[in-house]
Amino acid sequence: MSTYERSQHDRALYETADPVIELRDAEVVFEMDRGVSRVLDNVTLDIQRNEVLGIVGESGSGKSMLASAMLDAVVDPGVLSGQVTYHPADGHPVDVLELSERELLKHRWEDISMVFQGAMSSFNPTMEVGEHFEETIEAHDYDIGAGMDRARELLEDLYLDPDRVLPSYPHELSGGMKQRALIALSLVLEPDVLVMDEPTAALDLLMQRSILSLLESLKEKYDLTLIFITHDLPLVAELADRLAVMYAFELVEIGATEEILRRGSHPYTRSLLNATPNLDAPLEEMRPIEGAAPDPVDVPSGCSYHPRCPLADDECVASDPAFQAVSDEHSVACYHWQDAPDAIPFNVEVEVAEDCPQTDKEGECLPDERTADSSEPEPQQAENRAETDGGDQ
Amino acid sequence: MNWVLKRTGQSVFTVWAVATISFGLIRLMPGGAEDIIVARIHESQGSDVPAEVIREQVQHRINIDPNAPIHEAYLQYMGGLVRGDFGHSVYLNRDVATILAEALPWTIFLMAISTLLTFGLALSLGAMMAYKEGTRFDISQTGVAILTTSIPYYVAAVLFIAYLGNRTSIFPARGRYPAVVEPGFTIQFIVGSFHHAILPAASFVLTVYGLTALAMRGNSIQILGEDYVRVARLRGLSDRRIALRYVGRNAVLPMYTSLLISIGFMFGGSIILEELFQYPGIGYYMYQAIEYQDMPLMMGTFLVITVAVVIALFVGDATYSKLDPRIKSGDDSESY
Repeated sequence: MSTYERSQHDRALYETADPVIELRDAEVVFEMDRGVSRVLDNVTLDIQRNEVLGIVGESGSGKSMLASAMLDAVVDPGVLSGQVTYHPADGHPVDVLELSERELLKHRWEDISMVFQGAMSSFNPTMEVGEHFEETIEAHDYDIGAGMDRARELLEDLYLDPDRVLPSYPHELSGGMKQRALIALSLVLEPDVLVMDEPTAALDLLMQRSILSLLESLKEKYDLTLIFITHDLPLVAELADRLAVMYAFELVEIGATEEILRRGSHPYTRSLLNATPNLDAPLEEMRPIEGAAPDPVDVPSGCSYHPRCPLADDECVASDPAFQAVSDEHSVACYHWQDAPDAIPFNVEVEVAEDCPQTDKEGECLPDERTADSSEPEPQQAENRAETDGGDQ
Repeated sequence: MNWVLKRTGQSVFTVWAVATISFGLIRLMPGGAEDIIVARIHESQGSDVPAEVIREQVQHRINIDPNAPIHEAYLQYMGGLVRGDFGHSVYLNRDVATILAEALPWTIFLMAISTLLTFGLALSLGAMMAYKEGTRFDISQTGVAILTTSIPYYVAAVLFIAYLGNRTSIFPARGRYPAVVEPGFTIQFIVGSFHHAILPAASFVLTVYGLTALAMRGNSIQILGEDYVRVARLRGLSDRRIALRYVGRNAVLPMYTSLLISIGFMFGGSIILEELFQYPGIGYYMYQAIEYQDMPLMMGTFLVITVAVVIALFVGDATYSKLDPRIKSGDDSESY
């Protein structure tokens, strides 16, 4: 990342230079009859101002909980602990978990807002879309005229006709229109950070693409920090500056998108990339990850991935690995990350020409993949990325 | 517009069909008002007048000729209906139309109070139970609602009459307004009317609200779990606005139809209720008519109830789209 300081030695692995949100030991637990369900397990993470962070993981890996935790919006009876700090562009850092109910209501949507999974059901079916904007602006005591002007501008930025969308009822809009209207609604109070939880899940591929490119231009125009949560790794890889991989309610790997795709170092990340459907990969090359995701009440001891990991040994069972630096911009929670590329070779070799000009990596942008591979530190040729959308050239 | 015509046609057809079927059913009943009247006149006037003469006089007075073949009697009655002539009540010796016009406002008054109270109580209580789901309040109120629902309204009515009407005389147990007050727009009359309506209305409300409250509770709990409520909370909307505009508004949608259907139910219930409270409304006269086999009066009260239900459903259909924008009325096909 160009915004990164190169010298990270004086900082802990999870820290970034200018964080807008700091999560420290964020933990979400639900008390259940059969035990305590820990659906977010000590996640420590910085979100760099103006970056696009993609959070990926399989269903039920705690991605949505991580998103909710950033707004202190975990649903009852979940309990969020740890520390969430918001750094406004100017002013003092805010300890989000210490805010009063009133301050929290203000903080949400004005500083950080969220687009939920399921835009289809995020609008009140008996209320016009425009009224959603008005009531939001009014609830935060913003000027209604200026606020609605902004709403119109946002809708236009998202290629929606405000005169058509605002007086419509939600059921009169298509899924893609609703999704874009929801993004406009989440930005109407000019937040710094936008958290999106599976924002494209219910949309067709074309609409996913176009929303992605709209998000990119919105981010530029409004200086947003985007957190994009998805299980669709190829999709988010196009947009994200950094990727964080979650497994079993914890972060297991985080790094620049390019790094993760080329040199994913956690065995889970590598298997996940191999499991991603890809037009270029022969079907027999696709590898599902054996086993099942753990139960949040009963997460395996040590490294929670060890029952499914080909590299697991006694150490993995005994203790949970701490993050280790793979490179300046890349860290991984695995004892055996150095062995992972050998043990789990990537099964596809795909070009990512599109992303190259934006990265400042060492020599990876050469058009010829073989050349690129030869310059990599690791001996074998496994690091080709499973960048898979098949249409990114 | 087309829709209004179509729907009006349907309504008229329904009324006609009900009128025809009830006419046929009533004709099938053994005996008849004529026999009862003739017997009674015989008793009161002594037996010096020949039965045949009385019978002829009676037949002349009532709109229905029991000896005519059924199709002729039917045509005669329907012809009268079209002209607004409901016939003549044999038992009460008055025009049925006059009786109905006099009784209907009282029944509507009573039903309106009962319906408003029932739904007011049920909707607010149901919503409160949903908000406090699982608390002691919710559990106890659920129990109370089930208990009261399982009491028939006429049992409640009898208990009210016995304890609140007769034994303690807190409320009048019979009649529509105080006997000493002249009908008119006076304070005494209006207060008296409400005073008289309290027990009959309470017998209905307290035994009927439970089901509606439980339905409202269920709807509200479902709505509270909707994504749009969660998003609304995160957007910082006030609890009041969320409760009214989000939860209440959407939870009440399915209740609207049941409100209109309950109008028919209440008219049906008014037969026993008004008889118990000696409250001369539509139900009271229907009871009398059945007891004395007074066919024109019976038909008249039947028809009033039918028309009331048909109108309620018509209004419901026509206005539902105002309540729920997803439902289209009019020429658009309904999108359930």
